Amino acid sequence: MGEAKPTQERLDTGPELPGPFAVGRYARKLEEEMRRRARVSLIGEVTGLSKSRTQAYFELRDQEGAVPCAIWLNELEKLELPEGGLRDGAEVVIGGGPDYYRGSGQSSPGFSFRATHIRLAGEGDLLARLDALRKQLRAEGLFELQGQLARPVLPRTIGVVTAEAGAARRDLLAGLQRRGWEGTVIWAFAPVQDRRAAPAITAAIQDLAARPQVEAIVVTRGGGSLADLWAFCDETLCRTVAMLRVPVVAAVGHERDTTLIDDVAAVACSTPTHAAEAAVPLDCGAARLSLERCTTALRRAAEGAVAARARHLGALARGPARALRRERLFLNQKTREVRAASERGLGGRHALQSRVALVLRRAARRAAGPELAGRREALRRAEIAFRAHEPERTLERGYALAEGPGGEPLTSAEAARAERDISLRFADGSLDVKPAAADDDR
Amino acid sequence: MTDKPDSYEAAVERLEEIIDRLDSGQAGLRETLELCKEGRELVTFCAAELDAVGAGLKELRLDELAEKLDSSARAES
Repeated sequence: MGEAKPTQERLDTGPELPGPFAVGRYARKLEEEMRRRARVSLIGEVTGLSKSRTQAYFELRDQEGAVPCAIWLNELEKLELPEGGLRDGAEVVIGGGPDYYRGSGQSSPGFSFRATHIRLAGEGDLLARLDALRKQLRAEGLFELQGQLARPVLPRTIGVVTAEAGAARRDLLAGLQRRGWEGTVIWAFAPVQDRRAAPAITAAIQDLAARPQVEAIVVTRGGGSLADLWAFCDETLCRTVAMLRVPVVAAVGHERDTTLIDDVAAVACSTPTHAAEAAVPLDCGAARLSLERCTTALRRAAEGAVAARARHLGALARGPARALRRERLFLNQKTREVRAASERGLGGRHALQSRVALVLRRAARRAAGPELAGRREALRRAEIAFRAHEPERTLERGYALAEGPGGEPLTSAEAARAERDISLRFADGSLDVKPAAADDDR
Repeated sequence: MTDKPDSYEAAVERLEEIIDRLDSGQAGLRETLELCKEGRELVTFCAAELDAVGAGLKELRLDELAEKLDSSARAES
């Protein structure tokens, strides 16, 4: 530790650097250096304006930084700026270069941008700045955020940021009335003129968004120059709007005016009346009529469905009876047809069969006629011959027939002797006899 | 209808679906009656939403609301 300290002192005092120089000579050199630097023009907002007997002092400021400025009063007077043109909040373009006052034994030194020219910023200057800021915010994706928010078609409460006495307020109310909307409006009145209004507008938007019942916020003012509308191009205000979770409807200026809030808001409108329509997208009067139509359509659908199905069921219920009646008629018809057909058929067949029978009889008679007489005569003769050979005819002539007990004819004496009882049948009756031989044997 | 719709637009969207379905003639009797019941509930919901913004415009001032909040906060403390 003891060895490190001298080394540190050498570095701090820097004995290897040139010098030491007398500070007054260095201050003069610095002054010369500064005054040799390039002359430029700067744009920014005037703040902290003050005047001494010989000079005017102010700071030129924007979002990223500031530079202290000074101008000799006699030079300022030659510029013939409009009365009150150089004031706090004014956007100005100054020409000049860096300067360093080296001070003295009694007075303090100081740096300033020594202005030799000052003019109020014109539309072109503002547009250039606006364009740069627009590119930056777009590159950061801030233009898409609000557009992704869901906007209720029928909010109950909307917040409105506008000037209390402005025509925009009246136009917005007229727009809401035209919508048939009679919800709740929370007015957040704020100054809406030039750049200095931006913080108040931003605060009003934030306060409205903090209220849970506010479903949409309208920011509106009438038309004006770009300088008038410059508050609505304020970077802080636009970043605030972009990050809100409540949709913002911007209606700043007229159609030709394009402020940065138009780019970051959920909807950009050309007039306060249009802003009312964007904040309440639903036409309440038309919606009421539409609901009535829906009610009618639903009632008709319900009644129609029941009635149509009742008719269908009725038709179905009537169907079987009708079918039966139809079938019965069909059957009756068929029965009649069959009966008629059968009557026609039987009559015909009967006549046909009679004709066939007649034909057959005639044919049979024709076929059998000559032979039949001959066969009858032959039969008669055969019958006579046959009758002549019957045993009864023999018995009638006086012969007797010997029969055994069983009625079998006994045709020999030996056969008769063999029987115990025999029967003699005559033409007029039978006589039982016993052969003598048989008695002897006994 | 099983749940209350989230918003007026959700209710109207569902209502349009129902009417389209009914107009198509494809729905059976049971579905038709159920759709009609759901549709009537949606109409009631939408009508209530419209009534909520139909009873006269109400205008409030944010600065007065803020003052009320401040005074009530002071009263509580």
